[in-house]
Amino acid sequence: MAFSTSFMRASAITSRRALAGTIGALALLLAGVAGFTVRCAAAAIITAQNQPETPAAPAPGATPKEDRPKNGSTMPENVKPLPPGDAVSVLGKKVRGANGEDLGLIVDVLVAPQGQPRAAVIDFGGFLGVGSRKIAIDWKALDFAPLVRAGTVGLGLDRAQIAAAPEYKPGPAGADVVMAPSGPSPPADTHK
Amino acid sequence: MSAVLAKSKPEREATAQARRGLDGLNLFVANIQTGFGPFIAVYLTTQGWTQTAIGTALSLGTIAAMASQIPAGALVDAIRNKAVVAFFSILAFSASALLLAIRPTPLWVYAAEALHGFSSCTLGPAIAAMSLILVGPAMLGLRLGRNARFASIGNGVGAALMGACGYYVSEQAVFFLTAAVTLPAVVSLLPLARLREPVSAAAASRPGGHPPRAAVSALLTNRTLMIFALCAMLFTLGNSAMLPLAGNTLTKEAGNFASLLIAGCIIVPQLVVAAISPAIGQLAQRRGRRLVLLIGFCTLPVRGLLFATLDNPAALVLIQGLDGIAAACVGILVPLIASDIAGRSGRYNLSLGIIGLAIGVGATISTALAGWAADVFGTPAAYASLALVGLAALLLAAGAMPETRPPSPESEP
Repeated sequence: MAFSTSFMRASAITSRRALAGTIGALALLLAGVAGFTVRCAAAAIITAQNQPETPAAPAPGATPKEDRPKNGSTMPENVKPLPPGDAVSVLGKKVRGANGEDLGLIVDVLVAPQGQPRAAVIDFGGFLGVGSRKIAIDWKALDFAPLVRAGTVGLGLDRAQIAAAPEYKPGPAGADVVMAPSGPSPPADTHK
Repeated sequence: MSAVLAKSKPEREATAQARRGLDGLNLFVANIQTGFGPFIAVYLTTQGWTQTAIGTALSLGTIAAMASQIPAGALVDAIRNKAVVAFFSILAFSASALLLAIRPTPLWVYAAEALHGFSSCTLGPAIAAMSLILVGPAMLGLRLGRNARFASIGNGVGAALMGACGYYVSEQAVFFLTAAVTLPAVVSLLPLARLREPVSAAAASRPGGHPPRAAVSALLTNRTLMIFALCAMLFTLGNSAMLPLAGNTLTKEAGNFASLLIAGCIIVPQLVVAAISPAIGQLAQRRGRRLVLLIGFCTLPVRGLLFATLDNPAALVLIQGLDGIAAACVGILVPLIASDIAGRSGRYNLSLGIIGLAIGVGATISTALAGWAADVFGTPAAYASLALVGLAALLLAAGAMPETRPPSPESEP
């Protein structure tokens, strides 16, 4: 099974957005403000305390010189810089087909319990937001090479192949995932 | 109308200018509203918003609109110059479009949604009230037919324009375009600036010069208003999820041309409204409101059954023509029947707010009901259940809704 990155699953039923609101949108308001952090690709990441590359806590006042950034402010010892281009945000990025056609926007990422991404959920089709469908695409079918350069993700499928796929429904029931035509099939069992 | 003919030449010219202003206002306001629809979800997705946060923002807009229907109606009643109300509402639209374009961060988007929700509730009633002041209750049917024609042209052009802008330029550009369209809307408002609610001789002798207002309790216990609000709620409950459901079917079945066909499903009803609404307004004036109400309502169960049984993409677009007939009838009758009930009682906009709230509730439940029925029983069953609700609306209207057209010699030209 895969976990959705949205943590408030109860209202992730986007085809029924209005319903979600009638039950306590005001309560969600603050949560929404606090929870809206996924969009920025962090320039620095906070590492876990027990991670090997984190140096042991130095004595007070004895911060190593190389950990000090150029601008003079000290960086906490559990933070390491992420160089530009090493990692980019994928939420809201356009997916383009082999001929450059618009196949929709990435709205969610499904990850395995071990943390590996398994599928991207795309919002496909529609006009001015009417009639779009959510479809899960196998992570391995996606080409992230154009992401840094053009801000888009490639997918070697055409519209008809995606349209025929079953709609993705959030929840614990699992999902059917669209694969690349000749791509390697992911293991059926998540515990490899 | 004899009252108009008796006026001097400059007064007649001013009236003609005001009528053209009202045409333009309906056109541009409908244009503005296109960008604020389901497209906001697409735009916020491109800004990296999670689906949860988007759901919160849209729900906030819905709640703001529903909560402000009745207070907004009362507010518009209390302000004599409706053009001022319309001006500030359009200004609020402009502000919320710019907020969405420039600051797509949660707090500002929530503010924009709330602002848009509230000002929608003041603008609609203000336009209806200006129409009533301009032509009087006897000719209101014809005027509302004309309003509906210009609004549907605005909707259709807006959908095409905003769709192209989102596709060829950027999602953000749609909101800059929306903000830009508020300028011609304000210009259209200029000749309407001198409109005032007519003051009766009795009211003029009173210190404030305001006409005495009917009691709110009289409105809330008005049986006809309550039946009509219930009819409007049931109709919207059966109606509003049908287009998204049809769009979903098209995305699944129609392959490469799906987006174009969905655009057709949005634009075809607008073409029908533009073509028939003046005739519908005339029909309501000559033959009465009940006939028009029943014509509009009977298209909904038929449309639901056709959607449930046919899935040919071209057929779906043609069936949407029925939506145009219903939209023309309901769009004209809501402000017209409210005028019959509360026209010059000083509570016209409050009664529009009550009907607006009923429609808002219907629309909200509709999406939830159709989504649930489609998940559990499949799409044809979802169409069928919406058709059943439409049938209930038709039966209620046929059985309980009285004719509200005032008996007046002026209504027969």
